[in-house]
Amino acid sequence: MNYTSIFSPDKIFGGSGDSSNPIMWAVWIVPIIVFVFYGQRIQLIVTSSEINKNITKLQKYKDDTKKELLQYLQKSRPIGDVEKKIENFMEYFTIMPVDIDPNGIMPKIKHLLRIREDYTKKQVMLLAENLSAIEASKIQNLLEIATSLNMLHKIVRHLFLTAKKQNNFPLILPLQMMLPFIMEQAEALQEAVSAIKKGQPIGDGIGPMVVGKMMLKTEKKPIGLETVYSETDFEGRKLILLKAQGPNATVGRPGDAVEILVQEKKPEIIIMVDAGLKLEGETSATIAHGFGAAIGGIGTDRFQIEEIATRYQIPIFAIVIKQSIKEAITLMTKEIADKADDVESQIYQNIRQNTTDNQAVLIIGVGNTLGIPQ
Amino acid sequence: MIFSKKEKTILAFSVEKCTNCNKETRREFQAGDMLFAAGSGCIACSSPTSISKIFGQPKE
Repeated sequence: MNYTSIFSPDKIFGGSGDSSNPIMWAVWIVPIIVFVFYGQRIQLIVTSSEINKNITKLQKYKDDTKKELLQYLQKSRPIGDVEKKIENFMEYFTIMPVDIDPNGIMPKIKHLLRIREDYTKKQVMLLAENLSAIEASKIQNLLEIATSLNMLHKIVRHLFLTAKKQNNFPLILPLQMMLPFIMEQAEALQEAVSAIKKGQPIGDGIGPMVVGKMMLKTEKKPIGLETVYSETDFEGRKLILLKAQGPNATVGRPGDAVEILVQEKKPEIIIMVDAGLKLEGETSATIAHGFGAAIGGIGTDRFQIEEIATRYQIPIFAIVIKQSIKEAITLMTKEIADKADDVESQIYQNIRQNTTDNQAVLIIGVGNTLGIPQ
Repeated sequence: MIFSKKEKTILAFSVEKCTNCNKETRREFQAGDMLFAAGSGCIACSSPTSISKIFGQPKE
């Protein structure tokens, strides 16, 4: 047999138009067979390495946040083995109520969340000696970030290992699709640590910033846990201003406060100012108007506000300042801060349009009020 | 990655606004700064100032 002719480039690449060359045949057939039988496995290997990198990143975020929290605690006088206590905190869980019969589920959720919140507050106070309210609130926020990162890491790792263990490629696809969103959230959480430690306002604080400014030089009265309100006049109307008690890192309990204030002060309208998540492609820091209770969270406060507003037939106007998830939980951007005066003038405009003399207006600045007093 | 973006360093600033002439002065954020707190005197008219904004901007 003439091997020279088989290995000639002309023959291999079909230059002569002859397709009977065995090497050419192998070059085409072998990969097809490999991909038919091992295609999914190859894809699994490629995808796995990408997911593995992200799991390592999540692990690093979690460890770094825990380390930063411990370092922050060292500034106060820590009591006992704080590392162990924090590790325990990070593993806490909440069992949500049964929702097969959803009737009456909201008070149950509220009850559970209150227990968790109150317990965490008490435990945080036991982490170090003589913690001030602001320091305790910062530590609580840092603890929540560490817990969230721990949860994200565990879930991603679980899905990945399950798919890998069972060599189940379809199981890894949803994870691959969701991972960019999860990583965006994780990166935002990790970047929030610095702002919280330094007590700087975050993007979510734009609502309290606007209302806090309106509350300056008025008498502030506590109403509910970590929540304050004050009263002032504007062109013959009575304004009731409500926000979480700053400069602590807290969102307060606006639901409870609104329930009391509506019954006592009988406002004609409610205006809620909050940060709102923007859609991809939307410009950050744009102001949007709408209707309904502009408040995030698990939904207990929103439910409470909607309930009381419906019972008393009070219209709720919402003003939101659009921002990304990252902007909402990290140091406030210049674009968002610059909108505070615009939002304030739009609130006054809204009051002029929707109320008359001697009527009362309840204005709520919703969000985390870190670094924003009143 | 095709869509990877270069991370920028964010610097925090505080803006002090004069209560008299409304002149705004931007300076780097200092520990203990918080909104509406008293700032240093106005460089134009020496009147008291208060912190009107705290924000982050990418380092140029």
